[in-house]
Amino acid sequence: MSRDRAWFFLAMVTLAGSASLHALNYEVGGCKTGKSYVNFTTISAAVSGVPAGSTIQVCPGVYPEQVTISQPLTLKGITFNNSSRSVITINNPTGAPLAPNVTSIEAGPVYAQVLVQNVIPLGPVNIIGITVDGTGGGAGCPTLAGIFYASGTSGTVNEVATRHQLTPGCFLASGNGIWAENGAGPNQTITVENSSVHDFDSTGIQAISEQFPSTLTATIKGNFASNFVDVTVQHDRAQGIQNIGATSAITDNFITSGSGNTPSTANLFGVISYPDANDDEGNVITASGNTVADLYGYAITSQQFGDTAKSNKLSNVYAGLVVFVAVVESNTVMNTSQGYVFNASNPQCASEGTISGNVVNDSSLAFFGLPLVQIQKNQVDNDDVVQMSPQCP
Amino acid sequence: MPLEVKLLGTAHTSKHRREQVVVANRTIANRRNKFLSRSLGWFFLAAVTLAVSSPLQAVTYEVGGCKTGKSYVNFTTISLAVIGVPAGSKIEVCPGVYPEQVTITQPLTLQGITFNNSGRAIIVINPNGVLTSNVTSITGESLYAQVLVQNVNPPGAVNITGITIDGAGGNAGCSMTQGVVGVFYASGTTGTVNESTVRNQQSSGCGYGVWLENGADPAQTITVENSSFHNIDAAGINAVSDQTPPTLSATIQGNFLYNASFGIATQGINGAVTGNFTTGGSEGISVALTPGAITISGNVAADTGDGIVLGGGATAESNKISNTLLGFGPSGGVPGPLIQNNVVMNAGTGFAPVCAAGTITKNVFNDLQTGFEEALQSPTGNTLYNVDTIQTNPCP
Repeated sequence: MSRDRAWFFLAMVTLAGSASLHALNYEVGGCKTGKSYVNFTTISAAVSGVPAGSTIQVCPGVYPEQVTISQPLTLKGITFNNSSRSVITINNPTGAPLAPNVTSIEAGPVYAQVLVQNVIPLGPVNIIGITVDGTGGGAGCPTLAGIFYASGTSGTVNEVATRHQLTPGCFLASGNGIWAENGAGPNQTITVENSSVHDFDSTGIQAISEQFPSTLTATIKGNFASNFVDVTVQHDRAQGIQNIGATSAITDNFITSGSGNTPSTANLFGVISYPDANDDEGNVITASGNTVADLYGYAITSQQFGDTAKSNKLSNVYAGLVVFVAVVESNTVMNTSQGYVFNASNPQCASEGTISGNVVNDSSLAFFGLPLVQIQKNQVDNDDVVQMSPQCP
Repeated sequence: MPLEVKLLGTAHTSKHRREQVVVANRTIANRRNKFLSRSLGWFFLAAVTLAVSSPLQAVTYEVGGCKTGKSYVNFTTISLAVIGVPAGSKIEVCPGVYPEQVTITQPLTLQGITFNNSGRAIIVINPNGVLTSNVTSITGESLYAQVLVQNVNPPGAVNITGITIDGAGGNAGCSMTQGVVGVFYASGTTGTVNESTVRNQQSSGCGYGVWLENGADPAQTITVENSSFHNIDAAGINAVSDQTPPTLSATIQGNFLYNASFGIATQGINGAVTGNFTTGGSEGISVALTPGAITISGNVAADTGDGIVLGGGATAESNKISNTLLGFGPSGGVPGPLIQNNVVMNAGTGFAPVCAAGTITKNVFNDLQTGFEEALQSPTGNTLYNVDTIQTNPCP
């Protein structure tokens, strides 16, 4: 009897012990307490204090800190007590100039509010359901980024909000939402999805690789970028999504610069793709299913040979598509105040690239530099001028 | 192509002479038909009809003078063409500006064409005209319609394709007896507006892009698709039925609407509002009085005050709303709307039903100040990220 009881108790204790081990949760902010929780008061303390690969739950609240993540983990905002907003903000009560904490392969020193860098052991860093607010981050005119994935890192940003990455009064616009890059080294994969990126004055989401072939594969999908606010002296250009030399799929994003935002020149871009600094060609993007509207500038611009723009919807922009040699198919372009599907590489009417099945309705000018035989593969309605002079044969 | 170039020289024919040619052509055609039917046997008639049917069918009706020659019947104004062609004809409208008020009373297709590097045929307000209303809606407003489709006889579809209707200069004021509409489909009419542009209907708050209505039996079907609407100070597309069950079924799809005070407004109709794209203004899509069934799906509403306002038995699914003060709002009615699988990002409030009935589930809300305001009960089954306050002022 007593021996049986002993076994029984041992079994119970083991069960209880293992349950609590499995249920161990890492938490920031104090909304979840109890034996199964390990609590941290700051996100910075948590990201360095948990075992690699952990999930850190972040309670609703305001976190005035600069966060550097250097091990694989998942940072996840949670719902508690009628709120689901965990906001990382700039901690700079004196308004002193902000010192950069990372050097970009492309753009020099950057002040990143959340920096993913030197991740050891290798593994993904995932950020889910967090708001990164850059209010006050323009102090000293740094190049400002809400979230920055440095070279050699990978992971997923999902259901995040970045906002107010603005550099008012600075000469050049340099406020950025989400920034992913990779220089030399093994290929990395980064996904940015379902996120809300708004009130920035440089780039909403960007992927950069300066290698050929590209060392960064980026998936940028389902994001909403809105309110590019031009607040700088120079009225520099700003763009919703930018790709520089990375291999990216840019799909189902939704980009508007907001009503009434009309800078002095048409210098806003919805999606823009460049080759890397060495002008290597072939690190191409596919932009499909995106919606770009209300933008005084260019909806989709490809300056890299071989890009694809397919099934995008572009409306109320200065120009619809500006492309070099690309596959441009089945896009719908409406109400472009000076709108054209624009074949910038071929003012001499050479017939490179594929431009077909597009609908251009309600533009002042539909096409530029495109042979008539190619124009005829598209549908034009309500266009004041079908092709710009001199007309291609 | 060479044919067009060769014939360009005849484009100087005076308006009067061109009309005479039209009459002459028709007379010849009629005589030929009479001759054939009287003097030939049925078998022979059938064979000859087959042989001559292709030149007969090749007669094309044209406005503006860019297309000329034997196979074209030319008109100088759209108004003359829409009364001068046989029912069911297609009228090609050359690029150009047409300062006229057009009334269509027979089934036909009005189609803008591309010629000489332009594809824009624009109907504008006649600067020398008077903005006297030419139609009264079933809801009582007297309106000046730039293109009026009314009393269509024989019954049949009136289709408008690739035409721009510009209301600039047409501020008729705003009251029950004042207002401007680009295209008005009156009770009892049917048809499709496709690949058109309707703009600048600014009438002190009573400017409408396209107005569709039906106030009696039998039920009508009207489609508005793939068109561009902008700078309209009441509603871009307004569709109304005052019957129960509704006698108007509207399909409103693939349109782009910018800076219309209300992008798409429906009242008491059946149908589907699908894949439209509305930005600016104060409300994206407004669905009122829904005794029937209307589905709002796959639309985008952005940069506006209220994204989608709906009630009654309406369903909203798979829409995307962004950069608005409100995602979904109420328009009253029972059983209340079903709102599911939508995404609302960067908004003030996600759903504010003001204590009206409704089901809201399986939606994603991201980056909101408030999730639900004045909801009857706490909505379940939604996903909320980055929401400052999930629920406020719950209803008792």
